[in-house]
Amino acid sequence: MSQQPNPQTVTLTIDGRSVTVPKGTTILRAAEMVGIKIPHYCYHPGLSSPAMCRLCLVEVEGWPKLAPSCKTAVAEGQVVHTDSEKARAQRTGVLEFYLVNHPLDCPICDQSGECKLQDYVFAEGRVHGRSREPKRVFGRDDFGGDVLFYGDRCVMCTRCVRFMREVAQDDRLCVVERGSRSVIDTFFEKGLEGSPFAGNIVDICPVGALVSKDFLYKARAWDLDHTPSVCPSCSQGCNISIHTRDNLVQRLKPRENLEVNGWWMCDYGRFNYEWMNRRDRLSVPVVGGKAVGWSEAVNSLAEDLRAAIGQGAVRAVCSPLASNEDMGFLRALVDVLGGGEIYYRSRRAPDEIVLPGYPILARRRDLAPNVRGAELQGMIRVGDDEARGGLDQVASHEGIVLVLGDPLLDQGEDFGGRAAVYVYFGTYPSVAAGRARFVLPITTFAESEGTWINVQGRVQRFWPALRAPGEAWPAWRVLGSMLAALGEGPAPAEAHVAFERVAQRTPALEGISYRDIGTRGVMVREPALVSGD
Amino acid sequence: MSDSSGIPFNNPGWAGNTGEFQLTEAQVRGDDYVGERPKEGTHPATAATYPYMLADKDPSAPLFEGPYRERWDKIRSRYPDARSALLPTLGLAQELRGYLSPETMEEVARLLDLSPAYVRGVATFYTMYNKRPVGRFLIQVCTNISCNLCGADEVLQAFLNNTGTELGETSEDGLFTVVEAECLAACGFPTCVQINSRYYENVTPKDVPAILERLKTQGE
Amino acid sequence: MAYPYTHPKEVRLLSRYFGDPGARSLEGWKARGGYQALPKAFEMGRDRVIEEVKASGLRGRGGAGFPTGVKWSFMPKERTRPHYLLCNADESEPGTFKDRELLRWTPHQVIEGIAIAAYAIQAEQSYIYCRGEFFETTQVLARALEEAYEAGILGENAMGSGIRIDITIHVGAGAYICGEETGLMNSLEGRRGQPRVKPPFPAQAGYRGMPTTVNNVETLASVPYITLHGGEAYRAYGTDQSPGTKLFCVSGHVRKPGNYELPLGFPLMELIEDVCGGLREGRRLKAVIPGGSSVPILSAEECWDCLLSYEGVAKAGSQLGCASVIVMDDTTDIVKQVRRMVGFYAHESCGQCTPCREGSAWMEKILRRIEEGRGTEEDLDTLMEVAGQMEGTTICVLSDSAAAPVKSSIMKFRDEYLARIRTGERVGAA
Repeated sequence: MSQQPNPQTVTLTIDGRSVTVPKGTTILRAAEMVGIKIPHYCYHPGLSSPAMCRLCLVEVEGWPKLAPSCKTAVAEGQVVHTDSEKARAQRTGVLEFYLVNHPLDCPICDQSGECKLQDYVFAEGRVHGRSREPKRVFGRDDFGGDVLFYGDRCVMCTRCVRFMREVAQDDRLCVVERGSRSVIDTFFEKGLEGSPFAGNIVDICPVGALVSKDFLYKARAWDLDHTPSVCPSCSQGCNISIHTRDNLVQRLKPRENLEVNGWWMCDYGRFNYEWMNRRDRLSVPVVGGKAVGWSEAVNSLAEDLRAAIGQGAVRAVCSPLASNEDMGFLRALVDVLGGGEIYYRSRRAPDEIVLPGYPILARRRDLAPNVRGAELQGMIRVGDDEARGGLDQVASHEGIVLVLGDPLLDQGEDFGGRAAVYVYFGTYPSVAAGRARFVLPITTFAESEGTWINVQGRVQRFWPALRAPGEAWPAWRVLGSMLAALGEGPAPAEAHVAFERVAQRTPALEGISYRDIGTRGVMVREPALVSGD
Repeated sequence: MSDSSGIPFNNPGWAGNTGEFQLTEAQVRGDDYVGERPKEGTHPATAATYPYMLADKDPSAPLFEGPYRERWDKIRSRYPDARSALLPTLGLAQELRGYLSPETMEEVARLLDLSPAYVRGVATFYTMYNKRPVGRFLIQVCTNISCNLCGADEVLQAFLNNTGTELGETSEDGLFTVVEAECLAACGFPTCVQINSRYYENVTPKDVPAILERLKTQGE
Repeated sequence: MAYPYTHPKEVRLLSRYFGDPGARSLEGWKARGGYQALPKAFEMGRDRVIEEVKASGLRGRGGAGFPTGVKWSFMPKERTRPHYLLCNADESEPGTFKDRELLRWTPHQVIEGIAIAAYAIQAEQSYIYCRGEFFETTQVLARALEEAYEAGILGENAMGSGIRIDITIHVGAGAYICGEETGLMNSLEGRRGQPRVKPPFPAQAGYRGMPTTVNNVETLASVPYITLHGGEAYRAYGTDQSPGTKLFCVSGHVRKPGNYELPLGFPLMELIEDVCGGLREGRRLKAVIPGGSSVPILSAEECWDCLLSYEGVAKAGSQLGCASVIVMDDTTDIVKQVRRMVGFYAHESCGQCTPCREGSAWMEKILRRIEEGRGTEEDLDTLMEVAGQMEGTTICVLSDSAAAPVKSSIMKFRDEYLARIRTGERVGAA
């Protein structure tokens, strides 16, 4: 190979390791690429770099002073030391400064366990603090919305101010005063109320200065399990992490995905999780009013369905919250039963709410995660913007009626009263499910593995964060067993198999596997789907 | 040696009879050269330079109306963008109202198309913007090193004693607020005291009662 | 008629008309030889003006001492975007009171200097960032500026040259840090006056991202002289590395404090003893801060052979800064004065960088405790280390400035600290 230097890249040495990175990369990013994490507060990849926390300073050979690695671009042949005596002493010194006025109230601080001040001080702080002086006290301030501010814990990194200014472009936070009297504040009593994205400032606060009222004192960070997932609240499909404890969702946090949501999510999605914790769940299969086991339910249903084949078209309703796996198997079942139409209803907001500084992210009009998936399976949108109505032709259908996931809250007791076979695959009890001979408990997305396709046409995976109640199965498993009982191939035992089966019969998903999708998602192979809302 | 005030002080800042210094107060201050400046300003280049404490302080005075609007337009015309005009605009608002209330900050924000929080962040960075009402006379005593070496602490104490106030508080008659100031750049004439927009130099504790008396009778 | 104190050893290139009210007006200034340099500059052309200033060796008078001509030559040669000249009149360094005198006695001298510099660096718009407290001073400057506009010296067609030179007075609002050039630019943009990370340097991206030069008042006031008489004439004064004259602001315990314009390289002791009339009766010299409160304190012994040039003061262990000589006699309470200085930096820290924000306030608290007789010897070690952690670790040098008096005073006056710690006894009174 030739040693011709590429004008677009720069090669430098960081802690003895040679790194080649694109020109203009900062030292901090270059170090990250080889797994060297340089401590920092004010730097955030989604925000401007003020280089003011002075924690990320590193030694560059030949330079008189330490350089802020978050702001300093790499140079050819540069030799950087992030762990030299000078660099370490700098961090230890800065950390001591942070603690001069810090209240050290970790035992009652929500951030404890995921606090960058704790982490860094534990790693490189002084063993004993030297300050004997009385501490500065700012106290607690309600910033409005979900955000509570503990001024004494603040490290003045100003990430929150910059997020509101640069990303939300809703300049409601400011640094008030100067010097050691500086403190973050809102405009007097006018806080963050009504800001659709303010919850993000709690995420990016590296310490416990900004905490969520919703999460306040609910759980210790180290007791939480984190599961990668996708936000179910609109068709944007923001990548999230579901934080659970005791089989309950405690909070949702955005998960970085530059193609979808960056580091952010909206507050509507963030706080729309309580339904995942509902206890009034369908938990055992019920056939003709009697609780039965799954094998009995499947066999009995297969028998009824076989008998009903040929007695006219099937009419089905599917929730746009269902996964591609569920939807694909529903479509397959409908086809095996002689074909018919599948309807879906999605609540629609009047407007999109765009995040101005990251405009590919918006709270979309469709308040459901898999409208694109439903379209892909040829489902027909019915009903109004509140996801009501539009089901008259199903309610009184005389053939087979299948309902998957839609709670039918607007439907009466006589729904499906004339159906030859009425099957309700659901999560919650529903009045309209009263006439269903088969009431089969399925899991929510939070309890199962699956995929959705977002507004961009990106297929994204989610993983089970909660244990399913009782006997509830993922819908694809129920449907797959049904198909198997009807002689249509083996029942898929795992989600990735279910996806592959669906992918085989769905051109837009052809050749895509779970491995391809990974944690970041891939675009579907159908350009028509990759359009705006 | 006499001076315009008639009070024989050792005070070149406004009397001019120290050492070889033989000027009247007006000559020292440049009052005779500057003359009267119209409220609406003259040339836009200088529209931001008015002494803010001389106007009647009315916290509810309309902002940026009449001649003040004219002056603000002149100020604004000298900057390539609205944000750059923020400091002089806040200065003009304080000239009228005496301090920057939340409402004033909001009005300024609207005028310049900035967010109120942003304006608050900037206004609180600078010490000359009063965030709460102050007395008719804001007395700022420099206690930084050069003045301090020459007895500034005693001068500050004298002002507090003679006005009967605590540091930063306003006297009951609403006339005086005494605060400690950082270096006022008159280190050769210690102690330097700024009263509203005027400098009083070479002030010693024994000068203080007469200075206060002069303020009461003649204004600054 | 005379300014408070003058001295025969002075070389009054800039300060000749201090205390002369007649020099303020345009008419008066012209009668004293003003506004001859600007037309000459137009004749010379930009490059020669810059060359002359380079040849003069004039160094920035705001404290850093960077060669002015070199600074100007960093500006782009081709003007594709607006260029700006910012005159730094935010004089706030404790001990410094020269710019106010230049502005209030000789405003046209400063205006002419700005006009020449603006011409040289192709700045159509210049701003004079005046310290907010300078109400009286800016009134005088404003009147002078109005006169200059009326006379056609400034404006679209400055003195008939066809060149646009506009100058606007901008007033600050009380923040020492706005005297730092990038803090000044932020403040001028209507932001909090927090210094910016360099690079980019102002000549690349300054005010509103445009090429910008920031010069101190005294620097710009020197420009007309250099333009008129040539760089060599200016170099006739001062030393090789520190050419020209400098306004020395002498304050503190001398009989005749004031501004004295002397050639650089003037002996410090001669300034104190002769020019300023010495100390008060029966007092002995204890310490001198030679360049404003941001530079290390010199003990009396260090002053003896100290020459007041950039290199001379550096040799003595401090910096010339803006040549603000603060003289302290044996009545001085060093602990108290250092505490007061550190309190100033804590008050003026912009609060961006952690070491400065937290360190300056922490040092003030420790020093106050020592001053009140509740200190320990370990406090001195802590102070030294904290000061060390503040040096060279921040965006601007305010942090270093806060550290300088602490470190230098503990090194040079440790006994005084120890006395206060052990017995609670004050050494001096002031």
